[in-house]
Amino acid sequence: MKRLRHYFRLYFLIEAQYIKSKMQYRDDFFISSIGMFFSSLTTIAVFWVLLASIPDLAGWSFNQLVFIYAFYMLAISPFQILFDHFWQLRFHVIEGTFIKYYFRPLNMLFYYLSEMFDIKGVVQLVLGIAMFIYASIKLQVSWNLPLLLLLAATLFSASLVTISIMMIAASSAFWIFNSWPVLDLARRLREFSPYPMTIFDGFFKILFTYIIPIGFVAFYPSQFFLGSQSISTAVYLSPLIGIGTFALAYWIWLKGVNSYTGTGS
Amino acid sequence: MRAYLSYARGSFLSGLAYRSGFIFAILNNLVYMTIAYFLWRSIFGDNQTLRGLTFEQTFLYVTIASSLMVLLKTWTDWEISWNITSGSIIMSLVKPLKYQWMMMAQSLGFCLMNFLSIVVPSLIFLVFVFKIPINTGVGLLFFPVAIIFSFILNTTIDYIIGLTSFYTESIWGISSTKDIIILFLSGSLIPLQFFPEAAQKVLKLLPFQAMYHLPLMMLVEPEQTASSYLVSLSVQLFWVAVILILARLFYNRAVKVLRVAGG
Amino acid sequence: MSLIEIQNLSKYFKVLNRREGLRGAFLDLFSGDYRTVKAVDDISFSIDEGEIVGYIGPNGAGKSTTIKMMTGILQPTSGKIEVNQLEPYSNRIANARRMGVVFGQRTQLWWDLPVIESFKILKEIYEVDNETFKQQMGLFEDLIEIKKLYPVQVRTLSLGQRMLCDIAAAFLHNPKVVFLDEPTIGLDVSVKAKIRDVIRELNHTQNITIILTTHDLGDIEALCQRIIIIDKGKILFDGPVQRVNQLFGVYRTLKAQIFDFNQETLPRLNALIQTKFPDPDAVHINQSEDFWTDLIINQEKAPLREVLNLIMSEFALEDIRIVEISMENVVQRIYDGALL
Repeated sequence: MKRLRHYFRLYFLIEAQYIKSKMQYRDDFFISSIGMFFSSLTTIAVFWVLLASIPDLAGWSFNQLVFIYAFYMLAISPFQILFDHFWQLRFHVIEGTFIKYYFRPLNMLFYYLSEMFDIKGVVQLVLGIAMFIYASIKLQVSWNLPLLLLLAATLFSASLVTISIMMIAASSAFWIFNSWPVLDLARRLREFSPYPMTIFDGFFKILFTYIIPIGFVAFYPSQFFLGSQSISTAVYLSPLIGIGTFALAYWIWLKGVNSYTGTGS
Repeated sequence: MRAYLSYARGSFLSGLAYRSGFIFAILNNLVYMTIAYFLWRSIFGDNQTLRGLTFEQTFLYVTIASSLMVLLKTWTDWEISWNITSGSIIMSLVKPLKYQWMMMAQSLGFCLMNFLSIVVPSLIFLVFVFKIPINTGVGLLFFPVAIIFSFILNTTIDYIIGLTSFYTESIWGISSTKDIIILFLSGSLIPLQFFPEAAQKVLKLLPFQAMYHLPLMMLVEPEQTASSYLVSLSVQLFWVAVILILARLFYNRAVKVLRVAGG
Repeated sequence: MSLIEIQNLSKYFKVLNRREGLRGAFLDLFSGDYRTVKAVDDISFSIDEGEIVGYIGPNGAGKSTTIKMMTGILQPTSGKIEVNQLEPYSNRIANARRMGVVFGQRTQLWWDLPVIESFKILKEIYEVDNETFKQQMGLFEDLIEIKKLYPVQVRTLSLGQRMLCDIAAAFLHNPKVVFLDEPTIGLDVSVKAKIRDVIRELNHTQNITIILTTHDLGDIEALCQRIIIIDKGKILFDGPVQRVNQLFGVYRTLKAQIFDFNQETLPRLNALIQTKFPDPDAVHINQSEDFWTDLIINQEKAPLREVLNLIMSEFALEDIRIVEISMENVVQRIYDGALL
């Protein structure tokens, strides 16, 4: 418990300093927020354009798709905001600066992540909340306490799934150095997670449900709230799967950290 | 000329240095193709054609678009931004070469690397696994020329975005906004035919369709006449000229920041 | 009591054999052609509390690999290593609490923050209590006048100021051992002297063990009582610095640019030196970069003045320089048996 308090205090101390130094570049923050705003809306725009030509997408209406997408935005926000430093991991590994994270008496994942905080991710979070409320109203989802608790559980789990997938991808830097293509692949897979998994069949359905579980980032968990008729077992797994994937991802991160040798002799 | 080509060779070779990256980049493209296949199959359902395109045409359009996107991803904007923020641009400015052409040469080397390592394997996969027939008519002759124009447009836009580093700390925001705009408005994500009529009219007036939509239609629609190909190429050429002039004007402005503030 | 205990320590790496050119780069994509590099090969030594030890050797000798094992980054391939009675690799956090690190070219301070903020963060990370913090900062204020740097952003510090701050940061939490890697690299002479003073002071007042790796023999002379020389993963020498010092002291490198240098110049020069100084250790001739010829001279056996006169009597010299013997040459001399 004392450890935990120590870590919390440190986190806020380091982040506060980080944000202070970032605030010197205010223009940059505004431009980045605009960029974030547009990129968050792309998928919605795709749905909108597609549904101008067809009545529904694999049986899902525009508002239902907005709901799933809003769930997705909320689920990836913790990654976006708190885990942004993963994108830099390859530079630290290639240039040998990663070595400094070994020198402190702190958990390395914690110390590494504490050095960055993505302010513009907040834009995504706010947009996600707005869309979520919009879609809930349009779809007349009747929220009650059990449903809200379920929402919290599924969002937590879905966040962990996203974090795990990206963490494994980022950790690949320890073995192949330039992890960008792997992260890019992971991001691309993640970007398709708000699409209805029902468009896939056979092998790919199993792949995206159980092997690279992007279905759990948004589509399966949001079934609880959309009042779907046929709920598959995957849906019931969704509040639990996060812990498992995170355990695996952390194990891989540790493997990577232990196999890192730094550059030079 | 030789000097510029050596830059192209350099970026080509440094692309090779990271040996394990290609597999994932190819995989990335294949994953996209696979998901696009299922997505568009689901969108077409029982329809033979939508918006005047068959499923095969649409799928060819989006997959070639994705490969073209991979081809043109040369990070030129980031490279320039890095040059400016680290101050190493000075080293380029003292060389007896034009900075813009140096960057374009580097971008070309990168492009070739992307072509051989990612695009060719994906295309082989596309032809053999999805059995999508690629147009073998005259369009195939005009297509490479159209791609060269796309390359110039893309690299020059990247060049302009990179130069904004003279004014901002990080180009993440502006660069990702650019990526999104091109992605959405050029047809590289959804064929332009699927946009509402009114939106299509606007998109035809913008430079982005010249980067993806026009070249792609050369492959997708086999019954074009030679003159319609030439019309497409002229539209591209027009935008190439406009963007190049803009780049020159912007460079002259931006580089003053360096001269005045000392970088 | 010894603080660091190393016995039969080894670390091997697997390295891909890369090929040349475009074709080679393509072939490498599918290559499984690895070789084993013995970065550290069966070394043993122990270091006592309060010692300043110079750990030196040419590039690629295995210095940083050893340091990385002592700091808990790398797992040894075999052998035993203990720092503070702990195995660093499996007790990284406990070990990190009692050590400080300075890596010359890379700061560990927060780049965008004022100096004092970095120290405040470090205070929290190492859980330094207020009293110790005040006391340590007071010490740094006396030693390096850090106070006037408090509000300055780290990125705007001069290299020398930054290095002083980095060193102070490494000592903040009263560690048992501090690793200093190239602490004076790229600095001018007066700043170097300042940094050496500070290191010596901190070692004295707090009895902190210091492991110093450097290419600068001046650092060694100014700071170390003991020196360990490593090359190709093996320890070449471990002993008091005086012995090595005597040896370095008498050597000078005379760099000469000889007019109209051609194929016969070197044999002629060799023959000339041989006749006057037959002892092989007296003068060593190396052809170095471009047009320079290096003569490594043992002043006890061949006075510099005489060597110079001798050469000038036979050759026209365009330019000369006299420099201290380099690390590479020291190692070469030791290989040749100079210490035995």
